[in-house]
Amino acid sequence: MSPILQGLITIVLGVGGCVTYFYLSNLVLDKVIFPPKGRDPGRNINRANMVRPWLFLLPAILALGTYLAYPVVGSFWRSLFNRDGSQFIGLGNYEKLAGDDTFRQAVMNNFLWVLFVPALATFFGLMAAQLTDRLKWGNFAKSLIFMPMAISFVGASLIWKFVYANNPTIGLINAVRDYFHLMPVDPLQIPFWNNFFLMVILIWIQTGFAMVILSGALRGIPEETVEAAVLDGANAFQLFFKIKVPQIMSTIVVVWTTITILVLKVFDIVYATTGGNFGTQILPSYMMQYMFRDDGRATAVAFVIMIIVLPVMIWNIIQARKETR
Amino acid sequence: MTKHLMLGIAALALSAGLASAQELKFKPGSEPDRFNWQSYDQFAKDTDLKGQTLTITGPWTGNDKKLFESVLAYFEAATGAKINYSGSESFENDIVIAAKAGTPPNIAVFPQPGLAADMAKQGYLTPMPKGTGAWIKDNYSAGQSWENLSTYMGKDGAKHTYTFPFKADLKSLVWYVPENFKEAGYKVPQTMEELQALTKKIVADGGTPWCIGLGSGAATGWPATDWVEDFMLRTQPPEVYDGWVKNTVKFNDPRVVDAIKDYGWFAKTKGYAQGGEQAVATTDFRDSPKGLFDFPPKCYMHKQASFIPTFFPDGTKVGQDVNFFYFPAYASKDLGKPVLGAGTLFGITKDSPAAEAFVKFLETPIASEIWMAQSGFLTPFKKVNPAAFANDVQRNMNKILLDATTFRFDGSDQMPGEIGTDAFWKGMVAYTTGDETAEQAADAIQKRWDSIEK
Amino acid sequence: MAAIAGQKSLLTWAVNISVVIMVVAWLIPTVGLLVSSFRTTDQISQSGWWDAAFPVEKAFRDRIPGDGETQADGKYVLTGDLLTNGQNAADLKSGTVIKAFGTSGIKPDKYKAGETADLGDGGTLVVNKDGSYTATSATSFEGNGPRVYFVADMPPAFTLSNYKEVLFSDGMGQAFINTLTVTIPATIIPILVAAFAAYALAWMEFPGRGLLIAAVVGLLVVPLQLALVPLLRLHQEVGIGQSFLGIWLAHTGFGLPLAIYLLRNYMVGLPRDIIEGAKVDGATDFQIFMKIVLPLSFPALASFAIFQFLWVWNDLLVAKVFLPANDGSKVMTVKIADDLLGSRGGDWGILAAAAFVSIAVPLLVFFSMQRYLVRGLLAGSVKGG
Repeated sequence: MSPILQGLITIVLGVGGCVTYFYLSNLVLDKVIFPPKGRDPGRNINRANMVRPWLFLLPAILALGTYLAYPVVGSFWRSLFNRDGSQFIGLGNYEKLAGDDTFRQAVMNNFLWVLFVPALATFFGLMAAQLTDRLKWGNFAKSLIFMPMAISFVGASLIWKFVYANNPTIGLINAVRDYFHLMPVDPLQIPFWNNFFLMVILIWIQTGFAMVILSGALRGIPEETVEAAVLDGANAFQLFFKIKVPQIMSTIVVVWTTITILVLKVFDIVYATTGGNFGTQILPSYMMQYMFRDDGRATAVAFVIMIIVLPVMIWNIIQARKETR
Repeated sequence: MTKHLMLGIAALALSAGLASAQELKFKPGSEPDRFNWQSYDQFAKDTDLKGQTLTITGPWTGNDKKLFESVLAYFEAATGAKINYSGSESFENDIVIAAKAGTPPNIAVFPQPGLAADMAKQGYLTPMPKGTGAWIKDNYSAGQSWENLSTYMGKDGAKHTYTFPFKADLKSLVWYVPENFKEAGYKVPQTMEELQALTKKIVADGGTPWCIGLGSGAATGWPATDWVEDFMLRTQPPEVYDGWVKNTVKFNDPRVVDAIKDYGWFAKTKGYAQGGEQAVATTDFRDSPKGLFDFPPKCYMHKQASFIPTFFPDGTKVGQDVNFFYFPAYASKDLGKPVLGAGTLFGITKDSPAAEAFVKFLETPIASEIWMAQSGFLTPFKKVNPAAFANDVQRNMNKILLDATTFRFDGSDQMPGEIGTDAFWKGMVAYTTGDETAEQAADAIQKRWDSIEK
Repeated sequence: MAAIAGQKSLLTWAVNISVVIMVVAWLIPTVGLLVSSFRTTDQISQSGWWDAAFPVEKAFRDRIPGDGETQADGKYVLTGDLLTNGQNAADLKSGTVIKAFGTSGIKPDKYKAGETADLGDGGTLVVNKDGSYTATSATSFEGNGPRVYFVADMPPAFTLSNYKEVLFSDGMGQAFINTLTVTIPATIIPILVAAFAAYALAWMEFPGRGLLIAAVVGLLVVPLQLALVPLLRLHQEVGIGQSFLGIWLAHTGFGLPLAIYLLRNYMVGLPRDIIEGAKVDGATDFQIFMKIVLPLSFPALASFAIFQFLWVWNDLLVAKVFLPANDGSKVMTVKIADDLLGSRGGDWGILAAAAFVSIAVPLLVFFSMQRYLVRGLLAGSVKGG
């Protein structure tokens, strides 16, 4: 069977299957198991409504459980074993991490990444969304800013090589320095600051993400509130920061959270540019260098990363509670 | 009825296999003064694997993949088996994932003995057919060292021959442009002392002697490990090298630190390497030889393994536009002519009659000669016909391999992955840029090694 | 009044200019790659992409052809044209201007074109701008002409060969189809599943909801690499093995947390009165979801669809692990990484072309979806609610 046909059939079956599942399961629930009739229709409706959320959630829970939760639990167990998994060593892997200078450096660098990348990407994304909003060529400008999103992380690292390379005939920065008769430097070897040069790559990519989501949110703001503010004589800046931003705050939080979590996962950029040399190691790339060699240590790093996300998780739960109250 | 059906399917599969089989590059029987067709005919007569399929994964992609497949075509033609080869840029990860998930290929081609040893220990490799170890020892030059490379501890706690080395690379080479040497009046150095003198002379003449580039993405730093290994072999007896690889000689042993400093003399002395320390640390190893070909030359010499001509500018003719010499040994030390090399090792990850037959096929001279007659193939196999080589350049390279008094495999490839493919690389980068002294870098690597429990 | 108008146009100018600056800043790196994708690897290492449109000075090594010697004034003379007779003739166009020449590689531009170089022993060499040369010697050349180096301006050259190599390599068409086969179901299925789950998490009351939301956020950060080995083993055991079905399921699982998280947050923001109104009118949750929430959430669905599409499209790791390694089921990223780049990791021209080939479809998707994004938002009844 040709893959096109196979693909088409799967799309139809998969999508159709999903829709049928949701439709039929609801039908069965309402008509067969707890029909709103008989002796106590009200109780039946209540019962059906207690079950229904789980019908809606079932496929998602199954998929999440199998594809994420199960490996996570297995991995945690694995992180308590030694290099080849033959011996239980308790928290030995975590102790080793604590004693490793590179690990400590990776944590520090990751702290910088988490601090700056989500903040700047969200900021630039918000700026781009707002500024292009009323522009005639706004959609065109948006597409151009979005373009980096379409490039793989490795491709992006390659692109930035044409900016950072220390050979003045390849790297743009050193070409400019060369023009002013300055000695070439390698931006990726300048201690401390090289972290920021690498962050620029991820910010460059993620601004498009922030922009798309935030521009949707900006357009969803009810006209009335804006018009009222204009009538009150608010200028453009007041309008933006005092009226619009507070209204889309929850979306900003979502964007921020998503990018923060991405920062804790993306190893490709560091991997493909510096390979973690010159003091640029971060946790995801640190984990990758143990992956498949010393799975005990690699999984331990993964759990350290998950612990770092804990505050973000808690905060999201609180937020969810507030919204639905 | 079902039997007929099965036969029909088998026939169909077979014909499909034949239809997709590659054309044979050299017609069996042609050029008998280059190829050992007798070994091919004998193998074909002894082996019948009709309808069987053999899966192989390895590190060769692109052009190398095509070359390897041209060799596989002969196995297919001789036995009737079908081979699926897939190459991967990230072979090291893929094979581990496949083995752990229970989807291994029949045969895996390991570029690193360390990885093969790891997998053997975890029980993912099947020992080679009986007698393979002895065969390697008898038929390869420096056969003992090749046999040692293929022998690891299994899951059962006993040592077996687990892999079969096929295809070697030569690392101890220095590339230069003969025309540049001629114009400047430089002679190819025969000893390390002469090489050092030449380096100084080029600087005195206002030139830059070396192009060195350690850049390689996540693998940045590996070219420096080759330098250090070559110096280990040139300053210490091979036993010390072997001890170093096994960590019975510690990484921060003064003998190792001295070898690191010997590399530093070339890479870090001001004016010796094109662009200085910073450029050395990040210039991509694939870009660094290009300086040889500029006018005026950006550098005169480039130390790199036998594969590097792939990255020379388009149309460069090896042997004419560019040539190589053996990275020489110290005249003052009586250590012979040590050679550092690398190679690929075939291991059986899922046993089958076809897999064992394939190992037998690799033992035939013709399997090597087919690849030799094209490009990029060196071998320590003594029974192949040197006339099969496509050109003199390769023949000369292979001669260095066969003449070696000591042959040692790339040490970093034999160390545990965390060291040989990470800590060692990173340590060399930190040393090259001056972030760490040779002693500090060696200490850090040893510390990392200590943290791996045995 | 005029002052306000003036201020307004000033503001418009400021906005326009800042957007231009931002777009240019965002575009420069990509332009570098685009230009490089039309150049050969040798050109890329010779001059910066910003110089691609200008002629490049390049030094050549050549040897004056030794045959055809004539005698004049008691000297042996060789004449000819370096641009057509030399060893580099293939690389040179007629009309190339020679700027300088020399007799040793250390100073390839020692003499200006037209000057006379001293070859020693009474020999001389003149190379003119048009490539014509005259070499003289007191003794016969005996078939060996002298070495000559020259510097010429090479006109800018662009090539489509990188794209040709990427697009027309064996099996690229199949790989393209495979990529689509993987990407489309792996985009649609998680969205559908996530939408229902997100609705339940946003608008349905049940015990354990907060915990579930927390779990989703927690799972967001699970590194994919952790899951590969156990999942592949699971697939083997249940008989899915390495197949398209396996990769769809895997991408669905990996994409779900972000999908649920984004969609839930969007759905929570939908106007409460519409949904509660519908409930009062007796609509079931299924009806509310299908008729009200889903259409209203279209912008969020569309934007997530774009992200999931991009991520699946650019994925290399999952494809390598969950699809068999034969040619019939290779996707584009695998094809490019393993078959095209392979041993040519340093071939930046090919890398650049490959990058552009692989972003073409995602960009197309974005451009077409973008219209829906805007329309979906404006047509939605958010404001009315």
